[in-house]
Amino acid sequence: MDTEVDRISSLPGNVLDQILSDLPIRDAVRTSSLSRNWRYKWSHIPHLVFDTQCVSIPSEDQTVGKNKLVSIIDHVLLLHNGPIYKFKLSHRDLLGVSDIDRWILHLSRGSTKEFVLEIWKGQRYKLPSCLFSFENLIHLELLNCLLKPPSAFKGFRSLKSLHLQSVTLAQEVFENLISRCALLERLTLMNFDGFTHLKINAPNLQFFDVGGVFDDVSFENTLLLTQVTIALYEKVKNDQNMSRRSSCKLLSFFVNLPRIRRLKIHNYFLKNLALSKIPSTLPKSWVDLNYISIHINFNDFEENAVAFCLLKSCPNLQEIEMLGRPEEKAVVGPLTGLWGDDNWKSLFGQLRQVKIAGISGTRSELDCIKFLLSNSPVLEQMTVRPAPNEGGLEMVKELLRFRRASTRAEVIYMEP
Amino acid sequence: MSEVDMAVIKPEMMKSYIWIQTSDGAIQQVEQEVAMFCPMICQEAIHKGMGSSKNCAVSLPQRVSPAMFSLILDYCRFHQVPGRSNKERKSFDEKFVRMDTKRLCELTSAADSLQLKPLVDLTSRALARIIEGKTPEEIREIFHLPDDLTEEEKLEPLKNTTDDPRIRLLNRLYAKKRKELKEREKLKDVEAEEDHVDDRSVDDLLSFINGGEDSKGIKTSKNKKKHRKRKDLQKCAPSNEAIETHKKESNTVSSLCHNVGVDQKLKSSLGETLKLQDAADEVFAPTVEFDDVDNDDEIDPALKEEIDREVEDFARILNSDWPERMQELLSLGQERRPTHLSVNGNGALKGHGSMPSFPL
Repeated sequence: MDTEVDRISSLPGNVLDQILSDLPIRDAVRTSSLSRNWRYKWSHIPHLVFDTQCVSIPSEDQTVGKNKLVSIIDHVLLLHNGPIYKFKLSHRDLLGVSDIDRWILHLSRGSTKEFVLEIWKGQRYKLPSCLFSFENLIHLELLNCLLKPPSAFKGFRSLKSLHLQSVTLAQEVFENLISRCALLERLTLMNFDGFTHLKINAPNLQFFDVGGVFDDVSFENTLLLTQVTIALYEKVKNDQNMSRRSSCKLLSFFVNLPRIRRLKIHNYFLKNLALSKIPSTLPKSWVDLNYISIHINFNDFEENAVAFCLLKSCPNLQEIEMLGRPEEKAVVGPLTGLWGDDNWKSLFGQLRQVKIAGISGTRSELDCIKFLLSNSPVLEQMTVRPAPNEGGLEMVKELLRFRRASTRAEVIYMEP
Repeated sequence: MSEVDMAVIKPEMMKSYIWIQTSDGAIQQVEQEVAMFCPMICQEAIHKGMGSSKNCAVSLPQRVSPAMFSLILDYCRFHQVPGRSNKERKSFDEKFVRMDTKRLCELTSAADSLQLKPLVDLTSRALARIIEGKTPEEIREIFHLPDDLTEEEKLEPLKNTTDDPRIRLLNRLYAKKRKELKEREKLKDVEAEEDHVDDRSVDDLLSFINGGEDSKGIKTSKNKKKHRKRKDLQKCAPSNEAIETHKKESNTVSSLCHNVGVDQKLKSSLGETLKLQDAADEVFAPTVEFDDVDNDDEIDPALKEEIDREVEDFARILNSDWPERMQELLSLGQERRPTHLSVNGNGALKGHGSMPSFPL
């Protein structure tokens, strides 16, 4: 006969913390009304998450909704008892700036390790200076914020992961922030303003992802960086004089990324790299690079040259993705023979997968495909997807003719 | 024939076993790679050399019953095989935790004592999914929890394990509430109020938890409490000033009173608009509150100053917000009575440090 025994209340504290942390904050706090034993169990949970899912306020009125949210957060913080390791605030109704200041002040007295703040609406929220005194911060995520640390700010000494989206920072602030967070391993930047030169000085950085508008990216002391994604959302001004004089941008970009494994050059960044002297070969190869994804304008001479040079310097590529940016129809510079000089040299001994998309069957595109097919002896699959309203039988005929170094290679033509 | 026999026997002999003793005293052999998946068994075997023979079997903790141990072994047996894909593992896990809550709790406890973190994570998540979205009554029923919170208990102050002045403040407020309750009980002719107080205190704690389920009654009672707070703090103003001069340790409550007390205009305008007329309010002597304050506080001067500064910071920040906030707070009590924030109130406020609002 199964007696009605309460087995859950006697579970060890850390297990209960884990169970309660896994509940939306509302359900967790409600357990305080279960029984005498449970009155304070919730107050030790180390994670507090206030987002639209966990705290649903069914109210039409914006102000009422906001006030309720503020009241709830104030209550929970006041009744909470114990360290708060993770704090996340990401609510649709969140507006009141002074309230957030107050909560950050409260957290700054503890040992918060993870802090996520997402302001969905309104202008950039200026973070209070007490945020910069979070000594134990390991992960910081901000959306729609303005950072202006006090001059005495020496960086977050434990910070490993930084994710900034829609933020405003001064150039100097950005550089100092990155260089002073010595343990930084992951950095993500999406849509930012206030700084245009991305100087990345981070000895422990392993993952870097940036998408926005900037002038330049330069790496310094980034020997551990293995994954890089760079997307430049706006076209760079084409200064002809500058491009002839300046040293090879491609080289200076890559020289500090010796161990790079995965690289994505998206939107207009390849154009940025192309605005300099482009050698036919680079003095060094990047032997660890096994995945590359490039957005390229096949009608631009310089971009083709840069891509060609780059690919030749990466002998151990396993997967290549090339996406055409077909917005510029006008042909810039001679486009023949760019890809055709180095065939049948088994340049890509490990290449197994190739994806080409957004093309329209121009000479340079087809030359590129021919180049890849003839230099990849172990190729297994190449998929070719034309741009919308392009492609057709002509392209298929050409593709069919190309000789392939790999007997196992499949060339798959996909509908646009 | 004998060679064939040997071929059959040999692989068996190659496998090594660990001797384990379960909580019921029974001793069994378990394949080494399976048992070693549990950190606790691993530790016993490697660091203490246990489990090599029947005599020194690894003895499992009390919380691991034989039935639970066999379940855990199933889990370990599946997961210790290196070749499985993530999908396979996930699918196994999902099926594995489908059991009644009683066994799930036992399994969590057993896994925790064997330090098998992946299984603890899995079972904890499963328990969380069971609790999520259910009402307290439903949860009590599932886990057989006693419904033993009395009305009084819901007013009990939070255990003061930290020196956090904010917790102390809350305790003071709760203590005040308790005293009110006692006062009420003495006065026979305010039985109606008594019920009201009880409702208010329970609702007060749970109203924010229940979020959007506020009924009109709860809302108004919440506001009533808010207005009452303000009025009480105003009340302590006169006696407060006298005590202030005696170099009393200032704390958040008294500094609030101080600010409010200085502003006579505010008091009168609020007094007009907050039409709470509980008889018991008048009876409640301000000095009683200060007794609490005296007893509770052993804040050292440095902390006291910090608190002062903090309150003033808040006061300054909220200074500009104050008129709007008052409007908002008062408008929440719209269903009871229409209120207006007098122009005088606004003007008078700007002159002095405003009272930080209690979000209650």
